[in-house]
Amino acid sequence: MNKKNELPESTRRDFLKNASLATMMAMVGGVELRADDKAKSGDSELTKIPAAPPINVGVIGLGERGRQILIQLGKLNTDPARENKENAPVVAICDNYPSSLRRAAKEVPNAQKYDDYTKLLADPKVQAVIIATPTGTHKDIALAAIAAGKHVYCEAPLANTIEDTKAIATAARDAAKQIFQPGLQQRSHPQIEFLLPFIRSGALGKYVMVRAQWHASTSWHTAASTPEREDALNWRLHKATSTGLLGEEGIHQIDTVSSFLRGRPLAVTGFSSTIRSYDDHRDVPDTVQAVFEFPHGVNLMHDLTICNSFEKAYEVYQGDEAAMMMRDFKAWLFKEASAHEGGWEVYARHDRFYNETGIALVAGASKQTTLAGSMESFNPYDHEPLYYALDAFTDKAGRQTDETKKFYDTFPDGSVADLLDQLKNVPALKNKPAATWQEGLDATVMAIIANQAAINKQKIVFEKEWFEL
Amino acid sequence: MKYFRLSAAAALAFCVAPILRADAQTRYNAQPRGSSVRVDGTSTAHDWEMEGGMVGGFIEFGAGVTLDKAQAAPAGLQGDKVPAKAHVIIPVSTIHSKADHLPGVMDDLMQKALKAGDFPRIEFTLTEMTFKGPHTAGKSFDLEATGELVIAGAKNKVSFPMTIEPMDEGKIKVSGSAPVKMTAYGVSPPAPVLAGGALRCGDDVKIQFDWILKEKK
Repeated sequence: MNKKNELPESTRRDFLKNASLATMMAMVGGVELRADDKAKSGDSELTKIPAAPPINVGVIGLGERGRQILIQLGKLNTDPARENKENAPVVAICDNYPSSLRRAAKEVPNAQKYDDYTKLLADPKVQAVIIATPTGTHKDIALAAIAAGKHVYCEAPLANTIEDTKAIATAARDAAKQIFQPGLQQRSHPQIEFLLPFIRSGALGKYVMVRAQWHASTSWHTAASTPEREDALNWRLHKATSTGLLGEEGIHQIDTVSSFLRGRPLAVTGFSSTIRSYDDHRDVPDTVQAVFEFPHGVNLMHDLTICNSFEKAYEVYQGDEAAMMMRDFKAWLFKEASAHEGGWEVYARHDRFYNETGIALVAGASKQTTLAGSMESFNPYDHEPLYYALDAFTDKAGRQTDETKKFYDTFPDGSVADLLDQLKNVPALKNKPAATWQEGLDATVMAIIANQAAINKQKIVFEKEWFEL
Repeated sequence: MKYFRLSAAAALAFCVAPILRADAQTRYNAQPRGSSVRVDGTSTAHDWEMEGGMVGGFIEFGAGVTLDKAQAAPAGLQGDKVPAKAHVIIPVSTIHSKADHLPGVMDDLMQKALKAGDFPRIEFTLTEMTFKGPHTAGKSFDLEATGELVIAGAKNKVSFPMTIEPMDEGKIKVSGSAPVKMTAYGVSPPAPVLAGGALRCGDDVKIQFDWILKEKK
């Protein structure tokens, strides 16, 4: 027997010590699905792709999200696993609120500070911008950034209205020389990339239904020193400026489910309520439910609240042969006893630790020992989803800028169509998955409409033209 | 009727045999579509090949040069020489391995061997273009090109056979094949670290190209 395939014996004490969600899942037949962390970490001599050329980044909007972006960019630029470090330097930051600008500047002391995004966009050093301002301000900034020739990463949802979303998507589509990436960060996560073809191959049998939840115990309210500043900070609390829980948080799950189900929903029915009492004049509900009707009778039941954090966030995909639960970017498969043998078992390894289930889908040998411990505590992906999304964005922007320069240096009279034709032949541009403008449009429209359905407690049928330019 | 017959004959001649003609200097610029460059090499284990689709630059023919395939004696030559200037540009990073397995490893090795960071282009500057022999009416033009080839920043004089094929829409296809010794350009033949020294590329490679250019009006 191959020694490498043997796992350490697990004692009863170990088993009880790890008697957690993961262990319970093993007992009820949960099989962990996991991508190959080694191949994705870029440390393999065999799989590495030449590092992307550097790209200078500007960040617009330095609230909580903007600061998270700066932190993740900092990690990108110092990650020892990356061959080309410091290849996404933050050269400029912008916020119209002075103390936000000052605080963010501590993270990137060498970046040029701007109090007006038009000044940042006029800075020729800035090649790519990340927009992390309140949703309602995205359109003006994104359109100006695209017009200025910058690559653009725009946080999701793209906008508060279908009209604004289409305006952004149209500009992104027409600026084919530039990268436009909506902030649907799940699309870039290695675990999703790994699971997508697996699930789409029919591993669950026929889809039955999907459940998704996002639960937190928080208020969404941020205190500030002045009423004006408090209003500006708390834009998510008001219908006029916010797409609510379904838009600001639910959009990622709506997007992921649509991606796994390979299509858009036909209709959505929503419910909403404000359970707690607040003295901040909010008019956005703190608890919402939505049922999305997908084709073939498959429904997504989605609920979100900021009043109770029970079980936090996860999605369960149920098919007639198996169910898959995704939680914290880990996934477990639960097979029905009567399920047929599917093609995926070919790749599975019989696992002594999980004798009850017998099968684990594991690509890399490096994690075999860790399987004996707690599945909950082990995460092959060290980073936040935002890290992977920004990695993909800066990688693509760097490569596309370099390839474009190379093209025009070689063919000074070349047309944009010729350039795009050449870019199709650059496989490294597709190396890291990322959301497209169409996916940004789709997810934003779904979220905006779901929010409307929830607020009005009604059913809304999606119209095809909402998703078309 | 006479007019009709002449026009028909002219149209027929144009369709059958596109002509490369110039009363003044004629410049042909490289086109982004249709070109290809292939590098064939050997190694201690197996032969290998790399391919790219980006070949830039230009050819400029001297005044009076008319390369009409239908004619046995092209006009505008100086003896057997074709008065012409040409410059070829091939970005190193656009040449990729055709291996089924781990092509990225070979790409990486080759780019490092060619010092692509410092010298991102392979360049060729024509110094002489000569007819290899009498032209056969209806065939492509068989020529010998001589010039300076720059690889990894090192320059050498090279000669190689090439053909020019006039095409429709004012385009020409220049095809050829040039043998290159890597060490002559200070390039150490790549050897994958993974192979522990057991595998090393051969010093001799062959660069084959099909270069599509279009007349600049």
